[in-house]
Amino acid sequence: MTPQSFKKTGLALLVLTALALPLILRSPTYLHILIMLYLYAYMTTTWNLVGGFAGVLPLGHSVFVGIGAYTSTVLWLQWGISPWIGMLVGGCLAGFVAYLIGKPTLKMRGAYFALATMAFVEGVRVIVENVDQLGPFKLNGPRGLNIPPLPAGEGSLLAFQFATKEPYYYIILFMLMGVVYLTWRLSRSKLGYSLSAGGEEPEAAEALGVNVAKCKVTAMVLSAFLTALAGTFLAQMTLFIYPKSVLTLDLSFELAFIALIGGRGSLAGPIIGALMLRPVTEFSRIYLSATLPGMHLILLGVILIVVMLYQPRGLSEPLTRLFNRLQDRICSTKTGGAK
Amino acid sequence: MDLIFLLQDVINGILMGSIYGLVALGLTLVFGVLKIINFAHGSFLMVGMYVAYWIVAYTGLHPYLALFLVAPIMYFFGYQMQQWLIRPIFVAERDVREPITVIIVTTGVWYVLDNLALLLFGPDYRALSPNPLKGEMIEIGEILISTPKLFGFIITVLTAAGLYWFLLKTRMGRAIRATSLDRDAASLMGISQWKIFNVAFGIGTAIAGIAAVVLVPVYNVYPTVGVPFDVKSFVIVVLGGLGSIPGALLGGVIIGLIESIGPNFMTSTWTEAIVYGLFLLVLFFKPSGLFGQKYDW
Amino acid sequence: MDFGGLRAIDSLSLSIDEGQILGLIGPNGAGKSTAFNCVAGVYRPTSGEIWFDGANITGAKPWDLCRAGLARTFQIVKPFASKTVLYNVMVGAFARTDKTDEAEAIALDILKSLHLDHKKDFKSGALTIADRKRLEIARAMATKPKLLLLDEVMAGLRPTEVDEMIDVFRTVRDSGVTIFVIEHIMRAIMALSDELVVIQFGRKISEGKPEAVAKDENVIKAYLGDEYVAS
Repeated sequence: MTPQSFKKTGLALLVLTALALPLILRSPTYLHILIMLYLYAYMTTTWNLVGGFAGVLPLGHSVFVGIGAYTSTVLWLQWGISPWIGMLVGGCLAGFVAYLIGKPTLKMRGAYFALATMAFVEGVRVIVENVDQLGPFKLNGPRGLNIPPLPAGEGSLLAFQFATKEPYYYIILFMLMGVVYLTWRLSRSKLGYSLSAGGEEPEAAEALGVNVAKCKVTAMVLSAFLTALAGTFLAQMTLFIYPKSVLTLDLSFELAFIALIGGRGSLAGPIIGALMLRPVTEFSRIYLSATLPGMHLILLGVILIVVMLYQPRGLSEPLTRLFNRLQDRICSTKTGGAK
Repeated sequence: MDLIFLLQDVINGILMGSIYGLVALGLTLVFGVLKIINFAHGSFLMVGMYVAYWIVAYTGLHPYLALFLVAPIMYFFGYQMQQWLIRPIFVAERDVREPITVIIVTTGVWYVLDNLALLLFGPDYRALSPNPLKGEMIEIGEILISTPKLFGFIITVLTAAGLYWFLLKTRMGRAIRATSLDRDAASLMGISQWKIFNVAFGIGTAIAGIAAVVLVPVYNVYPTVGVPFDVKSFVIVVLGGLGSIPGALLGGVIIGLIESIGPNFMTSTWTEAIVYGLFLLVLFFKPSGLFGQKYDW
Repeated sequence: MDFGGLRAIDSLSLSIDEGQILGLIGPNGAGKSTAFNCVAGVYRPTSGEIWFDGANITGAKPWDLCRAGLARTFQIVKPFASKTVLYNVMVGAFARTDKTDEAEAIALDILKSLHLDHKKDFKSGALTIADRKRLEIARAMATKPKLLLLDEVMAGLRPTEVDEMIDVFRTVRDSGVTIFVIEHIMRAIMALSDELVVIQFGRKISEGKPEAVAKDENVIKAYLGDEYVAS
């Protein structure tokens, strides 16, 4: 077997397993856990477009989740517009906002940029928490917005609500696969090359014809649009959003941490990160938060520090080497490591 | 609106602002020397506050006397943190232009410390006791000035002056300044970079400890008490100019004034939004702040 | 060109003809790098203009200059260290195409002409300094420039490597690219340049063919001092 066919079979197996899982695991709890896992993997992958490829450190990305969630919810509650359309509107709005803040902030040094994104998301959260109404839009301040559930047992595609977990599972799975594919195509495209070159050596990249600032802004807008879609999904899953759920630094940090631990800038990194860290945080939250509150965040922080000290580029590199060795065994090839 | 009340607000703003400046002072020192922004600064403040709280609770010492215990403890704490957590990254990222990993690690430290405090001490708000300064006020005419805040102002000025003198007149201070200007040149002249970094970080943390002592009589202590101060410190440090001592104090006073005068014209949450907005404006238009220099890093 | 109170270049007038190799030399601190950076778009000259191919490019941005056909290398090489040699050159190739396979083809071509293709999958951070310089030129060549600005490329190379680099220069010139080079290694620049310009303290003190310039009194004085102006 050649390395290519090994990889392809592996991928196919993975996809098939993912598609078949709901048929095997009938428990809604497990499905819910998987759904959240995919959702975080999705959001971390979109974060990676900016944090990994563009080489900067956005620590306020949850603002786009919030924009997506609030836009589709407000449009549904006040004007009955289907959340699918609301999703797209939210995405465009997020992209627009990203353009506005991206242009000035992406010129800044790394630490300044991180601070600016943090200030932005905190500022937005403070405003949303304290206004009940912004023009014609009812935001309901800290009480958040409730989406009235459909009568039990009923589902509606148009209303983006379903009676069981399965449809949600498949939707987020497809979203995740879509975004992974997009990232893969991007990494092989002119924009992808320009972005990582600009992130690594901006001066050299500029001398080679790359308008680094413009590429970074493009990446940010794209990322914002995609992240906002996740916001809508989250809103429709939980049927209740409030500022501290979608506009927090906590969420921004969690996305950044997962991507960093998994390996920013790589394709599999965010997914590896999510796969490893979400179960840790979920289970420690479920089982330990009564006796040891906040333990899951401590674990996340400690893991982050340890990984950053020993593998600053994330865990995807050593894991890729392991994978290559496995591949060599099976295909009897000799894949060197990077020379 | 009465002029008297406005004057009271201004005074209050200056006093509280100077305390904010004291909090930011440690951060700006660390930045000026190590060129890193310690995202865990607020958590260090929180640690200082708990240390002060427990010392007073167990020994009954007057908080300002406890200062002489808190500062060294915090110095040690900061020194070790730099030595074990931050230095390895500096060494690993020697060639990288911007050690973003340091930011990430300090963010991790922030998380761990805050939640560790939550775990160990619980979420309860604790008020300092015994608190000899509780509710003390000085009356000047119709104006009431909170005594602990006044002392805070005095301690801030003394600390800033002390730091200034230290950097200007002592050997260690000059070594620190040399390192902050050009770390490679300084090390070529026999100044151990790592020792300087450790000392600078230690001093910065010790100052946070002093700020903690100043705050503890007037602020409740709880695990995430550091967060609002953390954010304010960043704003102040950017506003005043990274690495500038007068900048930190002035920036603090500005924030303090906005917070005390603002509520006369709008709700306090809009005041918060204004602080963030101001921050973003400064970042966009004059990132080097009021007193900062253009760093080429 | 003034930096605050320091006048780094004072009324310097240069012109390069198409297909030429023009060398700029001068003692240390003469203002060579400043002149170079003005042309390369790093500094905006405080006075004066720069024209390229009939267009005024004074103060243009580096990426626009690249699009216009002006490429440069860096004195302290800046490879995209974590990426392969091929990747590095492809970034340059993307300046002329939007398609990845075309960029790859262009890159492989350039690498072959500069004898680096056998190392195309090496991590550029792991290359020797001579190879890194070669890569730097390959990258710039991938942008299909009309004019290539080379900044002290020979610095730090051993004599055999210098000879190899001279061959590289000749290959580049033969492919039709005009070259503007700053250099300190005399034998290289004497051998290569069609014309030389010598500057000192920001002013031109000599220009012309290499043999003539080598004998010019002013040049000898500038480099070696008055005592060496022999008969």
